[in-house]
Amino acid sequence: MSKSKRVGFKLDMTPMVDVGFLLLTFFMLSTTFKPQDVAEVSIPISHSAFKLPDVDVMTVTVDKEGSVYLGVDNQNLRGALFGPQYVLKAGVAVTLTELPELLRNARIRNPKLRTVIKADRDAEYKVIQGVMETLQKENITRFNLVTDMEK
Amino acid sequence: MADVDLSQSKGKQKHGGKKKRKRIAVRVDMTPMVDVAFLLLTFFMLTTSMSKPQTMEINLPPADQNAEVAASNLMTLRITDDFRIFWNIGEEKPTTVDGANKKERLINLGKLLKDRNRANPKLITLIKVDGKAKYIDMVDVMDELNINEISRFSLAPMKDEDKKQIGTL
Repeated sequence: MSKSKRVGFKLDMTPMVDVGFLLLTFFMLSTTFKPQDVAEVSIPISHSAFKLPDVDVMTVTVDKEGSVYLGVDNQNLRGALFGPQYVLKAGVAVTLTELPELLRNARIRNPKLRTVIKADRDAEYKVIQGVMETLQKENITRFNLVTDMEK
Repeated sequence: MADVDLSQSKGKQKHGGKKKRKRIAVRVDMTPMVDVAFLLLTFFMLTTSMSKPQTMEINLPPADQNAEVAASNLMTLRITDDFRIFWNIGEEKPTTVDGANKKERLINLGKLLKDRNRANPKLITLIKVDGKAKYIDMVDVMDELNINEISRFSLAPMKDEDKKQIGTL
């Protein structure tokens, strides 16, 4: 039989590729890679809409079992504080007795650090109370609690 | 992948009627590059988290500073581990906040806080949470304070005498 007739069809992909590259550049520039979380924490819900600052954040994480972890968002500071093996980790497990000195050292290296407590909703209040008392003794009287926005 | 088209390489005439340019057309197949670009685009789109976490701000007085507050201006909230709320102003006997479950009690607490603060704008709220209570309990109470725009509050540890007062010890 006769050959099937093919219709040549050309589509100009240039605009799509342009947009693709634009988006790629945008996402590449706006991405900051987060280190892996130290502990699984389910954040409590509240109505507060205050946003966490982008940089200079020091996080005290308390997980469900009541273990305390300290982390800072800056890699260099992390290395200087905890040692080079922790550069790529979000935080280090600490005890409440070590916490004051680490907080002090961190704040000497970067006085602009904001302290944030990220605790599991089911964590015992006693641990958080201990953390808050430590902060208070270190003269960090203004800090934030990480919460999720209520939907 | 890439080829050079020489078919139009002859006949460059600058002066004359027609203006033909000498051109070596280079054609590069961009498909693999575009493929990679879109792959990366997808990757970055999926890994980016745009929303920043929300936070709740707390201001506590410094540890070495003891503020003297008149008893009538001090409202104490005591939260037990099973989320019963006791409140009193000054030296009054603690009373519970009604409600069958946590949600109702929180709503009633909100109303109570609003009324009390309207009655006395100088009221300072002191929150004492039992050590065995959950963190979420404390956040819920603080949230209730924030919703009612009560910024003058402080946190204090629950001592045994507090427990005695509310009858849980």
